[in-house]
Amino acid sequence: MNEEKFNRRDFIKSATIGVGAVAASTSPVSIMASELKKSGKNTSLPSVDVLVIGSGGAGLRAAVAVRKNHPNLNVVVVNKGMPSRNATCMAEGGINGVIDFENGDSNKLHAYDTVKGSDFLGDQDAIIKFAQKATEAIHELDYAGMPFNRQQDKTVARRFAGGAKYERCNYAADKTGSIMMHTCLDEAITNGVNFLLDHYLLDIAIDNNECEGVVLLNMQTGDVVPVLAKSVVLATGGYTRVFYNRTSTPFNASGDGIAAALRAGLAFKDPEMLQFHPTGVRNGGALITEAARGLGGKLINNKGERFMSKYSNRLELAPRDIVSRSIESEIRLGNGFGEGMGSYVLLDVTHLGEEQIMNELPQIRHIGLLFEGIDLVKEPIKIRPTAHYSMGGIEIAKFDDMSTHLAGLFAAGETSCASIHGANRLGGNSLADAAVTGKLAGEGAGEYANKRQNYGSGKHAEELAQKWRIKLKDITSGNSKPNELYDLREEFGQYNWDNMGIYRTGEKLEKHIKILDEIWAKYNNLKISNPNMFYNTALIEYLEFGNLILLARCACLGALNRKESRGAHTREDYPTRDDENFLKHSLVTLKDDKLSLSYKDVVITEFKPEERKY
Amino acid sequence: MKILIDRFNGVDKFVQAYDLSIDEVKGKTLLALLQHIKRTQDISLNFTSACRMAICGACGVRVNGHSYLACDTKMDDLLKEYDNPESLKISPLANFKVLSDLVVDWEPSIENLRKIKPTITPKEAFSDKKGCVQTQAEVDAIKKQWDCILCGCCASECNKLEADSSDYMEPFVFTHAFRAAYDSRSKDALKHLKPSIANGLWMCVHCQECADRCPKGISAADDIAMLRVMAMKKGLKDGTGPAHAEAFLKDLEDTGRLNEIYLALRSEGVLANTTKIDIAYNLMKAGKMNPLHIFGDEEIEGHEDLVKMIEAARAANKE
Ligand SMILES: Cc1cc2nc3c(=O)[nH]c(=O)nc-3n(C[C@H](O)[C@H](O)[C@H](O)COP(=O)(O)OP(=O)(O)OC[C@H]3O[C@@H](n4cnc5c(N)ncnc54)[C@H](O)[C@@H]3O)c2cc1C
Ligand code: SF4
Ligand code: SF4
Ligand code: FES
Repeated sequence: MNEEKFNRRDFIKSATIGVGAVAASTSPVSIMASELKKSGKNTSLPSVDVLVIGSGGAGLRAAVAVRKNHPNLNVVVVNKGMPSRNATCMAEGGINGVIDFENGDSNKLHAYDTVKGSDFLGDQDAIIKFAQKATEAIHELDYAGMPFNRQQDKTVARRFAGGAKYERCNYAADKTGSIMMHTCLDEAITNGVNFLLDHYLLDIAIDNNECEGVVLLNMQTGDVVPVLAKSVVLATGGYTRVFYNRTSTPFNASGDGIAAALRAGLAFKDPEMLQFHPTGVRNGGALITEAARGLGGKLINNKGERFMSKYSNRLELAPRDIVSRSIESEIRLGNGFGEGMGSYVLLDVTHLGEEQIMNELPQIRHIGLLFEGIDLVKEPIKIRPTAHYSMGGIEIAKFDDMSTHLAGLFAAGETSCASIHGANRLGGNSLADAAVTGKLAGEGAGEYANKRQNYGSGKHAEELAQKWRIKLKDITSGNSKPNELYDLREEFGQYNWDNMGIYRTGEKLEKHIKILDEIWAKYNNLKISNPNMFYNTALIEYLEFGNLILLARCACLGALNRKESRGAHTREDYPTRDDENFLKHSLVTLKDDKLSLSYKDVVITEFKPEERKY
Repeated sequence: MKILIDRFNGVDKFVQAYDLSIDEVKGKTLLALLQHIKRTQDISLNFTSACRMAICGACGVRVNGHSYLACDTKMDDLLKEYDNPESLKISPLANFKVLSDLVVDWEPSIENLRKIKPTITPKEAFSDKKGCVQTQAEVDAIKKQWDCILCGCCASECNKLEADSSDYMEPFVFTHAFRAAYDSRSKDALKHLKPSIANGLWMCVHCQECADRCPKGISAADDIAMLRVMAMKKGLKDGTGPAHAEAFLKDLEDTGRLNEIYLALRSEGVLANTTKIDIAYNLMKAGKMNPLHIFGDEEIEGHEDLVKMIEAARAANKE
């Protein structure tokens, strides 16, 4: 017991100052690893009460919740880099949560819009609680110092977001995500949360059906470090980088947490539900916000036609999924420009005039110049839909504490799937998801750690770590050419886009499963020709890529077997929603590198499924 | 052309040259160029990035000694800026410990942020059940500071940090302290002010480099000035800093100009200032301080912040 305490303190020390000290000394041995050597017993593994993996909005909120409820517990947030680099800081639009109850809006209406938005694949018990907690989250963020824009009456400013009946999307200028994430980071720092930077989650260790801890790669030294924890929160974000070359999400959105959970035997729920946003820049898919269309931007094909009139009488202002499908249709009809991943249509805002563009769309103009060298004051910009959000994630056992089916393991944010978003997430609901589920997971993990007497034996963590040490050595010892890894990743992104993108068919998906198997085989033969383990970013990219392939295989399996069109999942061979057969969640699990698929009923309480019409 | 990159493999430091055709360079962002080199020439080259759209702060590096956000910098612009050079030199941010190639260590910065307790302590009237109230004007007063993305560009350029980081924090830490201290919802500015003072608030040499290089247009120098005003207002007048401030005002009265060297000498005395000679030397070497200033009367350009400081000081005096 004593020894345990000593080591825990020691770990914390290393978590806060150790990494720096390690690099300052000339020896490449980490403090944590040298401690391990010293006592050589399992109980001497570094340990911490609550370990949070990932530092987006969800992870940071979880860590703060632990400290607030249980100041006696220590919390370490692990991140594969500096904590402030994540998807949360990229969000622009806003965060949903009803705060104005005077003018007809209510939590129930927020829940209803969310259920309808989800195309009835959302679990209604979770969604109803979520809507209520979203209101609380806004006030809490405000109290934590988040500088929201304000209304005349000094309350938080809100606006409409897609699919919402009332103005309940609260915002801070057009950088809500950045400001929210920095609020959460500041709060975590102030509340004594510790950070372990530059550590990459490799795997989750299980002992006796309970989470024992994790295995991390210390990127600064290359050491593989098993860490014990009384409870673990996974908050590693989404996996939209499966569409590597066409997504609005950051490079680190590689689904590492979901992949690790799969390897630990947990189920990946609704993996096929991947959302697309209609307007990304042609080059890579960085996001052009909806405001461009909101202000009157026109979509134009290679015949010079404003083609949206063919698809919706709301033209460019139709919901995201409809506009995305329309653009892809035009490209497939041969009405686009360019070829392959470089295909595009035009978004024209020139008619707004320089003054309005400079005043209201400066950010978009900047993006046009940066990625395409196009000044959209003078000419239209080249755009195509871009992968944007992953509705699927680690299956959650209980929304109230965001526990998974593995005792001691919790999940939150885009990594988790409590089924708030079903088949289609509404704008503004994912930041709310991160804030709400992050806090719940933190409370759950804190409670669990507080009750748990002892750490696991560490046997499995040590074994797993040993396997990884051998594997990493092998991976970095080869001599593949650099472009082999990166070309394969591009190819992977393109195949996913073509076969599993906005339009899907059984035939294409059937073919795609085989393609992914081939990519997987090629991947496993690749080596990284850089044996230097000091911050080997190519190795990290290699590992991320492996996780992405695994997750794409799951998504493809789910998509192939979901023979209907629902929300973001469009099957051309099954164009309508089929509640009779598919009002259920896909659950994909992994065993010995084989995937299997099962189903689980959607939870329906208050709202009867109906046709989704806007 | 040649892209020269400062490398560090954990043991050795060296410079590596990468030959690229002009077509490989043109039309790319600096980040895309680094990725291109990694993907086609050298997989061992290390740098960090995440958002590739100037909001996550991961990709700060130096080009020819000046800091840039790699994802937000077009190669065409760099070529223009440096007159179509034969080569460009890419290095990691200065004033950070280098972990590998262009990757730097952020941990000490997080610990510095911890010192100044970056979160507000809301007034009693507010609660986490109902939130706070604030006017848009009050939000606007701290809005700019909230644009900080922790990219480190300011710290890389900071002359005070370069001279001596043992008693000073990165400029953005002061920006964070300011935005917490100045928030109208906060009841306790001292929480952020005191550690700011203890960690170098009065050491800033007003060189303005931080403001010049911030990709978000934030002036940490202004925030430092504002924090000083707040500190004076709160009666935190011990130490050389406040004497410095009075000397500063006198300068302004006398000549309407700020004279860095006079200022330092007057507020701390000649003896105390011998410890600052290294700073001054570094400043002069970098061409950032003109020794002639010691005789006064030399025009100092681009000091809008001075005006702001005077205004702030006046406002403080009135209260
Ligand atoms: C351009 C853009 C605009 C958006 N706009 C909006 C909007 O207006 N409104 C809205 O509600 N939502 C929006 N979203 C979605 C929203 O930002 C995200 O869904 C949400 O922030 C996810 O938060 P998170 O905490 O779950 O994950 P993230 O913020 O992605 O954080 C994940 C963290 O985990 C870390 N991590 C990952 N893998 C590992 C590993 N192996 N080891 C260690 N650490 C790891 C990452 O480094 C990162 O820090 C937008 C997203 C994008 C990309
Ligand atoms: S003005 Fe002050 S904080 Fe800014 S760079 Fe100069 S010394 Fe550093
Ligand atoms: S103040 Fe500006 S330069 Fe400094 S870290 Fe913040 S955004 Fe970067
Ligand atoms: S990659 Fe995010 S700021 Fe450059």
